[in-house]
Amino acid sequence: MMSAGQANTWVVISAYCEERVIAGVVAQVKQHGYQLVVVDDASTDRTGDVARAAGAVVLRHPINLGQGAGLQTGLTFAVAQGAEYVVTFDGDGQHHAHEIGKLIGALDEHHADFALGSRFLGTTVRFPTARRLLLKLATWFTRVTTGLQVTDTHNGLRAMTRRGAGAIALRQNRMAHASEILHQIAESGLKYVEVPVTIEYTAYSLSKGQTLGDALLILTDLFARRLQR
Amino acid sequence: MIARILLSILLFAVMTYAGSAYRRSPVVGLASVLAAAGGLYFVWFPAHASALAELAGIGRGVDLIIYTWVVISLLMLLNLHLKLRAQMELITALAREMALSDVRLPVVPRA
Repeated sequence: MMSAGQANTWVVISAYCEERVIAGVVAQVKQHGYQLVVVDDASTDRTGDVARAAGAVVLRHPINLGQGAGLQTGLTFAVAQGAEYVVTFDGDGQHHAHEIGKLIGALDEHHADFALGSRFLGTTVRFPTARRLLLKLATWFTRVTTGLQVTDTHNGLRAMTRRGAGAIALRQNRMAHASEILHQIAESGLKYVEVPVTIEYTAYSLSKGQTLGDALLILTDLFARRLQR
Repeated sequence: MIARILLSILLFAVMTYAGSAYRRSPVVGLASVLAAAGGLYFVWFPAHASALAELAGIGRGVDLIIYTWVVISLLMLLNLHLKLRAQMELITALAREMALSDVRLPVVPRA
């Protein structure tokens, strides 16, 4: 039976060309009784249709904007639906839906507004060394620029209260949104906790993951954003 | 003299453009205005440019003017990039509104 907490929890997935795996991800989340919105970021395959058929509410961007833009669209939608908790979740199958409960529990237990998943406190299955080093570097950079003592900066599994979601207004459309969220958490002054989670890399998720070139683009985006008003 | 006047007109145009960029990005706007003002000064006082170039180890004053022009060009490029980002934010807002106004509910399988 679905608890009140699960009914008031919206899971947001930003998806682009995830036709192969999205049905499984949606089914996994729905199995735990959460509300789910998939933002189809103008996929060129049938991602949106497949997600709908699997039981998700689907919003579709008319043009491809990026994961950050998709998450912000989903956050706006979830808050408008009256969500008490909003969870961001990756669409490539690397997260486990049963861990959403742990994140929500941490919000309640610590009276926090953000619960951030951390693979470095938890477990990572099939963690490539190059990616581990890249993420460590990103974590160091974020610690220096935000002052937040986080251990994992680019983990897509996060939970936030309604108040926390209201403090987030992503302007970084692409991958730099992960750093931008942390900047906005730091600026909001709201409480955050880190929660150990499991990330399970597959050949599929690795093929869609970030490279060193992406990391440089993220730095450029963050720098350009600093120059803008 | 003709070259000086032409360069001055161009640099004045750059300063006006940079001034309009100030609202979008104060850092880029201010840097562009300063670079253009510096260029304008060196056009009319080339001897000072030579002295400064020597001090900076660049060599000739004319090289310093060329470097200044390169800096202005790069700042303009950065400004263009910021302008594109600002436009992208408007497009994003529009696309988001379109997505939010067309909520596609789950397909309920027929019994």
